[in-house]
Amino acid sequence: MSDKQSTHFGYREVDNDAKADLVANVFHSVASRYDLMNDLMSGGIHRIWKRFAIELSGVRKGNAVLDIAGGTGDLAARFSRIVGDQGRVVLADINDSMLRVGRDKLIDTAHQGNIEFVQADAQDLPFPDDSFDCVTIAFGLRNVTDKDRALRSMLRVLKPGGRLLVLEFSKPESELLGRAYDGYSFRVLPLMGRLVVGDSDSYQYLAESIRMHPDQETLKQMMEDAGFARVEYHNMTGGIVALHRGVKA
Amino acid sequence: MGPSPTLHTAALAGLEGLLNRALALDPESGRALAALDGRVFALDCTAPHFQVYLLPSTDGLQLAGHWEGEVTTRVRGEAADFAELATATDPAAALINGNLTLEGDSAPLIELQKALAGLELDWEAPLVDNLGDVAGHQLAEAFRGLFSFSRQAHASLERQLEEFIHEEARLSPPRLELEDFYRDVGTLAERSERLASRIERLKARIRRLSQ
Repeated sequence: MSDKQSTHFGYREVDNDAKADLVANVFHSVASRYDLMNDLMSGGIHRIWKRFAIELSGVRKGNAVLDIAGGTGDLAARFSRIVGDQGRVVLADINDSMLRVGRDKLIDTAHQGNIEFVQADAQDLPFPDDSFDCVTIAFGLRNVTDKDRALRSMLRVLKPGGRLLVLEFSKPESELLGRAYDGYSFRVLPLMGRLVVGDSDSYQYLAESIRMHPDQETLKQMMEDAGFARVEYHNMTGGIVALHRGVKA
Repeated sequence: MGPSPTLHTAALAGLEGLLNRALALDPESGRALAALDGRVFALDCTAPHFQVYLLPSTDGLQLAGHWEGEVTTRVRGEAADFAELATATDPAAALINGNLTLEGDSAPLIELQKALAGLELDWEAPLVDNLGDVAGHQLAEAFRGLFSFSRQAHASLERQLEEFIHEEARLSPPRLELEDFYRDVGTLAERSERLASRIERLKARIRRLSQ
């Protein structure tokens, strides 16, 4: 058993095989109130972060877009309007609870016309090579067991010239902001999780997983190692969140 | 250096919401915007630094801080240059001949201005909330200059037309002259009535004296 590869689940070291189930349990637990919690936790700013990601995506009418870990469909809804009838948006999530909440929400808001829903693992995307003009993953990469494998899989399904956008929590630029953010993450978030979703452990995991996620420069290097060109990142809200963008050459 | 991506995007989100709420109440402006579907307008404000792309469509108006595709019309200048359009006697000439740099096709920009000119918009609130009092106010002035001048230009044109009809061509009497005339008529009517009653009194007196 000692030769089994391990990874992080928050601050815990777990077997690679176990992480997917542990993450799945977190998202099964929070799916029904995921949007509400996001608004509460970020003061609504997560909508601004996602909006910025959409602007940098360069998605146009008629494009094919894959939104991985698309969860409750915030990005997919907006992409659906941009690509129009001639375009295609695939909302993929490994977690069926999240996918169900997202699908219901998008159907309720009349967005289903050009959107497909696919339960898929980011590490092994079930799409042919060169399928999409743009791939996005917002607040999802840190939950993936093997991030390098996932990045290679994303590169494979992108068309040449296609863009990958990774929106993810990152490392605050200033130490002072970092300390304030730590206090918020480890004291306020679990409490909020307990009050709103009835689950403080999931939000404890959220705070821990953010700290364990690669910082801006490390993720940039990982994207370049996976084969992406012109990789750049934009810090948002003092680096609490960063948007990385890379192009398939 | 421009505002941080978060603040810039928040300001644009606020403006976009403001515009689309106003458009929802004004179907005519909505139709005018839908006719511009596919065009992209860039506004480069160099001081304070702020960039916005306006993308009209059948769903309303989308605002973006980044755009890597083709641009139909680009206007570049300082906030003060944009603001001058609001007070220019000939805004179209000021837009073309002033300190602003205009690239691309100006006709669709005029159409966009016409579509937005009819809307009652408070440009100030979303910009000041996200970018602070000074930069927010300057940018609000810039937006007002570019997109609200048509309304002022129309008001100015109407005023000039009224003056021409009344004073130059004398096609119709001005309001003040008419009021004077009506007052004179009223005075004359009162004096006629008083004269008539005086005549009646004199007639009655003559009848009494002749009896």
